Amino acid sequence: MSSDVLSPGRLAIFAAVLLLVAAVPWWLPALVEDYWVDIAAEILIWSLFAASVNLLYGYAGLLSFGQALYFGVGAYGVAFGLQHFGLGFWGSMGLGVTAATAMAAVAGIFAVRLTWHYFSIITIVFGLILYLLTVGAKDLTGGDDGLSLSLPPFFSLGGVELDLFDQATQYLFVLFFVGLCYGAMWVVLRSPFGYGLKAVRENAPRAGLIGLDAFWLRYAAFVMAGFLAGMGGALFALFSRYASAQYMYWTVSGEGVIWTIVGGAGTLFGPLIGTAALIVLREEISSIWEHYLMVLGVIVILMVTFAPRGFAGLIEDAVRRLKPTPSAPPRSE
Amino acid sequence: MTTSRRSFLQLALAGGASLPTLNLMSGIATAASSSDPIVIGHQADLTGGISSWGYWLDKSARAAVDHINANGGVAGREIKYVAEDSESNPPSGARKFRSLVQRSKADFVIGAVHSGVNLATCPIAKELKTLYIPNGMAEEMTGSSGNRYVFRTGSDTYSQAAAGAKWAAEQLGKTWTFIFADYGWGWSHFNEHKKVLESIGATVNPPIAVPLDAKDMLPYLAKVPENTEVLYSLFFGSQSVAFYTQANSMGVNKRTKLYSVICGHEAISPADLGGASEGAHLLEYLPRQLKHQDTEYNRKIRELMKVDPVNGQEEGSNRIIAGSHYWATWEAVFFIKEAVEKSGWRTKKDTPEVIKALEGMSVEESLAHPQGAKTIRAEDHKAIIDFKMSKVQDGKIEMLHAIPAKDIVQFFPPRVDFTKENV
Repeated sequence: MSSDVLSPGRLAIFAAVLLLVAAVPWWLPALVEDYWVDIAAEILIWSLFAASVNLLYGYAGLLSFGQALYFGVGAYGVAFGLQHFGLGFWGSMGLGVTAATAMAAVAGIFAVRLTWHYFSIITIVFGLILYLLTVGAKDLTGGDDGLSLSLPPFFSLGGVELDLFDQATQYLFVLFFVGLCYGAMWVVLRSPFGYGLKAVRENAPRAGLIGLDAFWLRYAAFVMAGFLAGMGGALFALFSRYASAQYMYWTVSGEGVIWTIVGGAGTLFGPLIGTAALIVLREEISSIWEHYLMVLGVIVILMVTFAPRGFAGLIEDAVRRLKPTPSAPPRSE
Repeated sequence: MTTSRRSFLQLALAGGASLPTLNLMSGIATAASSSDPIVIGHQADLTGGISSWGYWLDKSARAAVDHINANGGVAGREIKYVAEDSESNPPSGARKFRSLVQRSKADFVIGAVHSGVNLATCPIAKELKTLYIPNGMAEEMTGSSGNRYVFRTGSDTYSQAAAGAKWAAEQLGKTWTFIFADYGWGWSHFNEHKKVLESIGATVNPPIAVPLDAKDMLPYLAKVPENTEVLYSLFFGSQSVAFYTQANSMGVNKRTKLYSVICGHEAISPADLGGASEGAHLLEYLPRQLKHQDTEYNRKIRELMKVDPVNGQEEGSNRIIAGSHYWATWEAVFFIKEAVEKSGWRTKKDTPEVIKALEGMSVEESLAHPQGAKTIRAEDHKAIIDFKMSKVQDGKIEMLHAIPAKDIVQFFPPRVDFTKENV
């Protein structure tokens, strides 16, 4: 870990941004409708889903179109825990995340043996199988209609109860878990595992020559990505009070890929930036024109064509231009 | 009329220099007063599978708002109408409901006609303490999935089964098979009709549920058992066209009698099916042809919809009216007006009074209620309405007989009592 990463200047900027993000429920409604606080929470959740795509695509070089499967399992885990098993708030959330991670652990055994388009195809196939099973099991899953949830409080002690019906509480609850996940990713991606993953992404045979096991590195990344998507799904079920097979469909996975690419694949916060940009545009355009996807499509085409490193790349270039160029050392004749 | 809203993008583009101004404006904007316009939101199915109906429900609600605004408003206040597209998709629809309430500050929301969207929205209506009038047919919205904030001004599968199933079993046959779109609406039809049919000794074969994205009906039509006397189908849009045309090409409609609610023909002209649905019996809620309920009120509302009196085709387009459903949003706007005026509603905190005013409200046939006189039953918040039994004859939907509400209401007693819930 370089000392530059934890320089006082960077830490101060990070702390200021964190404070600003944590204070969203108080300053944002003073500027726009309080509805945007919920949208901010939704962006955080979906960014976790995009981060799961990014972990595979941006760091392991595996383009998955099946992350919606784990998102959906996370959401249904919460729904089943609350509606069918009576597990309560935390038990249901735990069930959702655990089920998604376990599902990724099983699917990963088959999926990460493949790379390139074969990997993409098998992830779609896994997703479609579970989607069809979920839609078909209507009595259990609600099929196309999904399941609506009644949320219990998540904290109750001595007459004090906290629940997600309060907008600020809900936002902070989401931020806490999303923040934990981003923090964990930050640590993992700077560990030997993270560097090994990048080495495998760049050149798997060469990585093998220095003792890195491509299969296990990819497998671990796949399971972690399943965990992130499952956490996103569990949070989304709690946020929307709803779980649906629609969230398992492969087009939802495609959205995660788009958010990642537009934001900047292979960067920690690229997916968050991409998700935020495209969800804000969706909210703004869809309320005035129902065919908003056409506009989003054009924006995606422009981004991929003219800024292939996404918003994160644009920001990086801008910062580099603003930084004073170190003077060149005198040339020795 | 649409609301002006503070846009997130506007804020972002305005930059820091204008923040103090925006902040000041926000204080003014959020302090809603009792003289402000009343905001009615519409979670409209403008795109997606059921958009051919959504178009009419939106057009009808807009016409009602324009008519009321041109005639003095509601208790002297103007109505602002805001429609957002549900995309005929439950997750999107639920999100749009939140947008209407939290962003557009809708005081009341008229719901989608997609039952899945309605079912996903009902708990949120309660959470956001907003009166919600869904237009989907699934019984659950005014049953097990409903709550005190949810009202129905149109019809539902429970009352439809009570109105038509017994007559159809006696006239058409006692061995039934159901083939339907595999979501809440289709299953609700199956479950409600099955109860009525089995209670009168009819046989109901295992259901055939068709995925919403299925384009080809042949594999499903091939499953229709040979002993079927009555084939009950329930699809909308392109799936309905596929069902009738492929059932016709397979000869299924020759060996069975076709019966259904009007839904399979909503926004579709029988003539456009090339005779594939000829002879089908249909339960209507407001006749497609004006001549079968030719009142001054129906003439007026059809004039506003700009449709012809026979096929319900829109002037200058190929659209066919969703004739048994469009009136429900027109009437929903008027029900809101009447409840607001009856209860003395001023701001959203008075919504419990509107709820109490709607519970048990009876209205006479009028321009506000062109479908007919009706009562919103207090216990389950369901409008008790008249039906019509009709048949496709010579490419037109002809009414056979009327089914007054008073003759059938005893067959669908309330299953819930929302009046016991606190608001």
